[in-house]
Amino acid sequence: MRLLSTLFVILAINFFLPRVMPGDPFTTISSDEIGEEIIVMTEEQRLYYLNYYGLDRPLHEQLLVYMKNLMTGNLGRSIYYKMPVSDVIMLHLPWTILIVASATVISTVSGVFLGTLSAKNRKNGSDRIMMTCMIAFAEIPPFLLGLILLLVFSVHLRLFPLAGAVTPFADYNAPLEQAWDIMYHAFLPVVTLSLTQLTGVYLLTRNTLITVTTKDYIRTARAKGLGEKTVWIRHALRNALLPVVTRTGFMIGIMMGGVVLVENVFSYPGIGMTLRSAVICRDYPLIQGILLVTAVSILVCNLLVDKIYGKLDPRVAT
Amino acid sequence: MIKNFVTAGNARIISLAQALNIDRNNRINRVVISTAEAFSRFSTEGKIGILGIICIILIAVFAPVITIYPPQKITGDSLEPPGPRHILGTDELGMDIWSQICYGARISLTIGLAVAFVAGFAGGAIGILAGYIGGHVDQALMRVIDVTMALPSFPLLIVISAFLGPNILNVIIVLVLFSWAKPARIARSQTLSLKKSNYIIAARNYGAKPFYLLWRHIFPEVMPVLFVLTIGIASHAIIAETGLAFLGLGDPTSKSWGMMLNHATGFRSIYFTPYWQWWLLPPLFMLIFLLLCLAFISRDMERILDPKLKIKKGF
Repeated sequence: MRLLSTLFVILAINFFLPRVMPGDPFTTISSDEIGEEIIVMTEEQRLYYLNYYGLDRPLHEQLLVYMKNLMTGNLGRSIYYKMPVSDVIMLHLPWTILIVASATVISTVSGVFLGTLSAKNRKNGSDRIMMTCMIAFAEIPPFLLGLILLLVFSVHLRLFPLAGAVTPFADYNAPLEQAWDIMYHAFLPVVTLSLTQLTGVYLLTRNTLITVTTKDYIRTARAKGLGEKTVWIRHALRNALLPVVTRTGFMIGIMMGGVVLVENVFSYPGIGMTLRSAVICRDYPLIQGILLVTAVSILVCNLLVDKIYGKLDPRVAT
Repeated sequence: MIKNFVTAGNARIISLAQALNIDRNNRINRVVISTAEAFSRFSTEGKIGILGIICIILIAVFAPVITIYPPQKITGDSLEPPGPRHILGTDELGMDIWSQICYGARISLTIGLAVAFVAGFAGGAIGILAGYIGGHVDQALMRVIDVTMALPSFPLLIVISAFLGPNILNVIIVLVLFSWAKPARIARSQTLSLKKSNYIIAARNYGAKPFYLLWRHIFPEVMPVLFVLTIGIASHAIIAETGLAFLGLGDPTSKSWGMMLNHATGFRSIYFTPYWQWWLLPPLFMLIFLLLCLAFISRDMERILDPKLKIKKGF
């Protein structure tokens, strides 16, 4: 319900924003405010585009057409790429999914691991040092952290590539080699995203574990004579993981926002880079399409997490 | 060790203030003492944060005094390395980088302050009112808050600023529209629990009018939490502005730190030349420093206000 209304708001913004603006998008396209691409349009072309996008028809008709197009998966045509928006997005989305998904997995797994470690040694000094470092990492926005990593590892040490997702014009002898190349290029973006999201998972795991270990059933488990390992992993960690699941969904949402900037730092050809170039050449249909895809994927993730959470913890579902 | 030193320093400030305080009614002295006392409640990190913020504010306020060149004028050769003429060197157009840093601080601080102030207090007021009135108003507000918080803020921000055009005022308005929901939610829940407390009921039974209750009893209670949230909103707003500017959606007439990053990373072979050392690093360093200072302060304030109170982090 909540997700549906959110989706509705996004669609409404997407629909009304270009229409309630003073003037129309095509006058902005033909002006040369900023940007490297200056698209000059004649009056004839402007009218053609107005007609093409149905902007000269009454508002309710436009709304109907918009809805119909959405239902059939038609997001319009990109002005700059001269091909359907959905094709442009499909071309770039896999790269974004690749780095967001790997960052999600890496930050969740290592966050849980470090959190457990920290909860176990919470009386030592090592826990405090770890916490301070983690908190400092969490406060740096992902794209600034990405810039630092880029400057240190790619520019200064020359360990990693500066841009791109694959080596240009490379010939691969084996699929393994290609996979290696892709991993090599994705490494820094993934590390950047993981580092900024790690802290949330880490703190959550640590705090939940500390609460869980004071529960009676942990004492019972110890009293039964179970080994320390079994108590921690099977009894404590399993229960502490529940909030982590929710956190993961939340995290994907934040990352979809952050990845737009991180991709631009590393010139990684995902939808974030596409969005930037669309913004520079004022390619409005493409901008709107990307917004829609991003928003929908975030909402779907939230929905999935809600469902999974209900399965894992039957107390919530009732 | 450092902590002890700082605490000792504060004790000295306090005793100095007390020694100076011959006339007990002297207002300035009292302010000095209370400030010193409030300051000494912060941890080392919090103190570093406060001092850092004060430094940045001073840089922003006295920008014309501490810089030699105007930020938007060509005053030297293109891409001059740091030297006696230009402390931090120049960018590709020959503009002084130190001047750009100083004037850029103004933009970051203005956006952070404006968004935080408006969103924090408007959101807080809405939340308090809705919590106090209750009923349908409250229900409706909760729905709106739920939807606003579920919106993917950054992608929407990009789209809206792309359509509305690059302008600082637009950025501020859009950011306010996205960040009022959290203070509203927290103010509402606080008001709901306060409404049931005995002293509020007693005051109402004595005939206190709703406005008096809200202003004298509820607002002062909610205020500290709102203040902590406000710091978070400020740093979020600064990040958002930087991100937009970095994408090329900043106000072209103003040189913010994000715009500097945008210009530097947009320069063709920036990474193959030594230019990044004085062109890219200063704004990067200043931004991270500012954000860390804000984070230290807000963490410390959270701790001081109520150790049991946990405000959920993250936007």
